Amino acid sequence: MKRPADLIYGVDEKPPLPVTLFNGVQHVGIIAINLIYPLVIFRLAGASVATVIELLSISLIVLGIGTFLQSVRRSPAGSGFMCPSTFTATYFSASLLAIKAGGLPLLFGMTTFAGLLEVVVSRTLSRLRAFLPTELSGLVVFMIGITAGIGGIRLMVGPDAPNVSAGEWRVACLTLATMIVLNVWGKGTLKMLCALVGLIIGYAAAATVGLFDQAHTSSLAAAPWIELPTLKHATWSFDLTLAATFAIASLAAAMKAAGTITMCQRLNDAEWLRPEPRSVTRGVMGDGLITALSGLAGSVGTNTATPSVGVAAATGIASRHVAYAVGAIFILLGLLPKVAALLAIMPRAVMAAGLLFSACFILINGLQVMTSRLLDIRRTLIIGIAIIAGVAVDVFPAIAANAPGVLAPLVASSLAFATVTALGLNLLFRIGVKKTVTLKVERDSIGGVNISDFLRENGAKWGARPEIISRASFAANQLVETVADNGWHTGTLTLEASFDEFNLDLHALYAGTPLAFPDKRPTDEEIMESDEGMARLAGYMLRHNADRIRAESKGAHAHIWFHFDH
Amino acid sequence: MEIDTASHDKVTAVSVKGRVDSTTAEKLRDHLTAVIKSGSARLVIDLKEVTYISSAGFRTLLITARSVEAAKGKLALCGVAGEVKRLFDIASFTELFTILPNRDDAVAAANA
Repeated sequence: MKRPADLIYGVDEKPPLPVTLFNGVQHVGIIAINLIYPLVIFRLAGASVATVIELLSISLIVLGIGTFLQSVRRSPAGSGFMCPSTFTATYFSASLLAIKAGGLPLLFGMTTFAGLLEVVVSRTLSRLRAFLPTELSGLVVFMIGITAGIGGIRLMVGPDAPNVSAGEWRVACLTLATMIVLNVWGKGTLKMLCALVGLIIGYAAAATVGLFDQAHTSSLAAAPWIELPTLKHATWSFDLTLAATFAIASLAAAMKAAGTITMCQRLNDAEWLRPEPRSVTRGVMGDGLITALSGLAGSVGTNTATPSVGVAAATGIASRHVAYAVGAIFILLGLLPKVAALLAIMPRAVMAAGLLFSACFILINGLQVMTSRLLDIRRTLIIGIAIIAGVAVDVFPAIAANAPGVLAPLVASSLAFATVTALGLNLLFRIGVKKTVTLKVERDSIGGVNISDFLRENGAKWGARPEIISRASFAANQLVETVADNGWHTGTLTLEASFDEFNLDLHALYAGTPLAFPDKRPTDEEIMESDEGMARLAGYMLRHNADRIRAESKGAHAHIWFHFDH
Repeated sequence: MEIDTASHDKVTAVSVKGRVDSTTAEKLRDHLTAVIKSGSARLVIDLKEVTYISSAGFRTLLITARSVEAAKGKLALCGVAGEVKRLFDIASFTELFTILPNRDDAVAAANA
């Protein structure tokens, strides 16, 4: 493990107290925007303002405990990194279905179920990877963004929403505009806290145009300054028909948590090559436990705070002591009901703007993950059909209403239907995709075979990462070109490429002697003056291009293996 | 592989398109040698449209650099990006050449 040059405080280092506190407040500011998810869900469940205040207080304390659990060193269920907890859009659509079907008890029961399921999933995440390729993870994130964005629009103009006043439109536009302007043209802390500043401006504008009524102000006035919230609202029920929807959200949360913890690993190690599975497994397990705790205490699903890790990367302060400060601040805020009351009376215009703003980033993040792989016709169809299927459920509610009983849970939400469609198509399209492919190259007609196209076409069928295919392509081309003049005596060179989600391996077999792969680069003079020098440069480049390389001579044949971590 | 040559005052810019490997490197070397011999020792090689470069291609660049040096000229490269940049890095050639982000900067460097 090597410390990155731009890291100021690594995970095990302790910054001075003012730095720790200031950073803690900054992270709380970034995470606070996601309190919008429990707030919207509790409000749509028809909970009274007093109940919402108490539930939000509980939610804040859950975030505090979760942040400690996730960050404590050598925690049995936590990543050990500066990786705070947050509420998430991942459970948004499933939670809306739960409150519609069975109110808050069903929401809390199903959230507990989803959390426990994530704990189980954490143990099998690496084995599931072949069935959950990266582009499917991207699709899930994309659909979460769609759900959150549509959720914001629905608050304003949905079929059950009251008419929107001119004042509400103005507040919504001002809130969204503030977030956008600060995010696009702002700098430093103001840019990082753009969503929070937008919410504050939205509150002020709402007060100016009279969106807070007497009930709101009296609720705020009646809320005590300090009080320990009770668990009296935490009752639970379970509905099997919602299990699939919550299971999909749980799987999505596990994948996202794994991605965030991988970001933490990279942030702390300049020599990072691939995810370290122990902290990922423990972190995903911790994420599941926090969601289960959230359901048991009376709140909604949580996840690791990816934007917070992004801020740690931007500031270079990734110390777990900052996470301790974040946890403590959340617990403190949970003991201040006036803070929860202020959140509980958030006007829907402000909520809608916040949801729309955050949805944009979730959506684009999903798109980037999807397109980070080579996409052939199969994968194009999987992603395209799944997105259309998911969106269709939102556009045509009749699909869910008329679905036969057994299929009803699968078409209950756009996220669930898109994910199930993609999983099914992914399984179907595995038919006929060879994981090992072979290319024959004749010594006398090297130029007649396009090795790059061969690897690119198969890489697209496999959904391989383009940069790995580029490296493999260089390896094969440079090897063939060099051995044609140095050791490949006669006949055919057989190039075999094998792929799974973790590895890309090339095996070259030809009649002759293996190429040398020196550790030391030949001098410029050696390269210029002799063919041998040029061949040694080729061997040197090939050694540094692959993650592992092996050469053997068996009888009259040379075998060369290149391994690339995927 | 395709080669295009353009003049920018005292500087000759050679842009290369496609693969620079053992089958094409010699053609490129001959072209660059001819340019230098014709008196244009202030040279820019634009690799923006190169899709693949092997050890044979690097050897050609090294030999060209030495020829330019012998002719008391200047050599600058541009368009070294993506996969080609990665190969320059692993072959330890990035520090060896003057590499500029675009052709205008490379022409200015070769002209200095």
